[in-house]
Amino acid sequence: MNKETPKEYLRFNTIERIQHVILFTTFLLLSFTGWALKYPEQTVEHSSWLVRIWGGAKNAGIVHRIAGITMLLDFVWHVLYLLYMLSTGKIKFHKDTTIIPLPKDVMDAVKNILYFLGLGKEKPQFGRFSYIHKFDYWAVFWGMGIIGLSGLFLAFPVQSSYFFPSWSVNWIWEVISIMHSDEALLAIVFILFWHFYNEHLKWNKFPMSMTWITGKISIEDMKHEHPLEYKLEFGDKGDNK
Amino acid sequence: MKRVFLVALLWIPLLCFTYSASAETFTCLACHSAMKGKIRTEGGVLIDVNVDGEKYSQSVHGGFDCIICHKQFGSNPHEPARITNVPQGIASLASKLTHKAKVDPVALAACSECHGDIYKSWQQSIHGSNVIQKKQSDGASCVDCHGLPHYITPKNTATSHINKKNIVKTCGECHENEGLARKYGFSTHILERYHESFHGKKYAIGHPNAPTCVDCHKYHDIKKWEDPMSPVAWDNRTETCGRCHKGATKKFVTAITHKPYGKDNPVPYYFEKGLIVLLLSVFAFIVGHVVLEAISEIRDKVLRKGKEGHHE
Repeated sequence: MNKETPKEYLRFNTIERIQHVILFTTFLLLSFTGWALKYPEQTVEHSSWLVRIWGGAKNAGIVHRIAGITMLLDFVWHVLYLLYMLSTGKIKFHKDTTIIPLPKDVMDAVKNILYFLGLGKEKPQFGRFSYIHKFDYWAVFWGMGIIGLSGLFLAFPVQSSYFFPSWSVNWIWEVISIMHSDEALLAIVFILFWHFYNEHLKWNKFPMSMTWITGKISIEDMKHEHPLEYKLEFGDKGDNK
Repeated sequence: MKRVFLVALLWIPLLCFTYSASAETFTCLACHSAMKGKIRTEGGVLIDVNVDGEKYSQSVHGGFDCIICHKQFGSNPHEPARITNVPQGIASLASKLTHKAKVDPVALAACSECHGDIYKSWQQSIHGSNVIQKKQSDGASCVDCHGLPHYITPKNTATSHINKKNIVKTCGECHENEGLARKYGFSTHILERYHESFHGKKYAIGHPNAPTCVDCHKYHDIKKWEDPMSPVAWDNRTETCGRCHKGATKKFVTAITHKPYGKDNPVPYYFEKGLIVLLLSVFAFIVGHVVLEAISEIRDKVLRKGKEGHHE
């Protein structure tokens, strides 16, 4: 393997970047239009600023629905895109580049936490996606299913009631609304802590990693953060530079 | 001299009235807007006979003479109050209201003179029959929902008790009252559950389409929900819910019961508990991880001067 080592490496292509931009735009819209409903009793004079900035609850509801549908379409696009890339062989499964959680990720997490605590001497070596990235990715995937589905039920209550079995009608709506609002809280806190720390606040990333817009990562950062992927892509030679 | 002074004092309140109250009203209010404390009636009940003249003149009935409603005070206002010299209909109605209206049953009956249809449907309602037939003094009449009779303002004003912003609170005055709930056998969870529901949450943030109590249960002719005449009786629900939810089916309309969580409704109760456990464990993990990592990064940068463990 005597590939010339470039200065930068394309980590995410244009389609993946567009999917990410749609995802976070709709996520922010959904959070800011939905939050007022989470603790409505806290609102002053029947409308907090979170409602007023949208020009009232009705508008906030419309924005929430449009953003929700857009996010779900983005999600469907992402899944279809992945299936297409896999079926045409443009993405191949490899243990060091996959987003699928593997036993190594659990070991990595333990090793990393031991390192944080000063109990381990080495940080784990990550592939294309560390366990931190995988957790970030699958949390969104899970949220998309739970919040997206319950959101559709809530947006179209009469139509969804056709699908519910008659023995569930006494509690299903409570379950759906708890599901939607509690999972949304989880998603917001998750993004605030996990994603914001790991991609914005970290020592070498502040104020943010530019990868989301350029799609590129410098070779130095790649060696440092994704050593296994680097080795796979450029061979061991590059490591000696 | 002293007497002149007193008479002058009595005129002061009159000078304040710049609204449409009539001359006769001025005469009554000269005293009745300046009375402190309470007086004892013949029946031995302590009553408040003071009226805030300014507020009264701004109310929907502010232009009325006092005796339009307080009919038995027409001739000599300070004769002991008796239900005489008033029209037959009002008198018979007032006689059924003596237990309810401690101050002036005639005045409470007098609402029917202008609001006859509403008064009739109230008498048919669960609130009205409770007052008229069951003779309960704590049953809801006009003033219990619409507020003190002298200060009723139009429905679209913020001070109106039945304004959309206030109506749920107004119903709650009784329907969240533990004593009344025990006496009449209704649940005090109803408002709480309404506020937790999507209808209630939308109402709280001021959504114009959010339904309140009266949108589903009606108001003047309100019935117990099991009564076949009630709009929320099982047979009428598809129509009632269908006003907003087009195509509502029998299966759909069971959605709202106002039942409390817990024993009656265990699935959402335990589902929520489970979700809270999930949420807290995820929060604990991510917050712990982020904090530990941040501390270790600072440690590496500051104490170990950039030497990190992982290239060795």
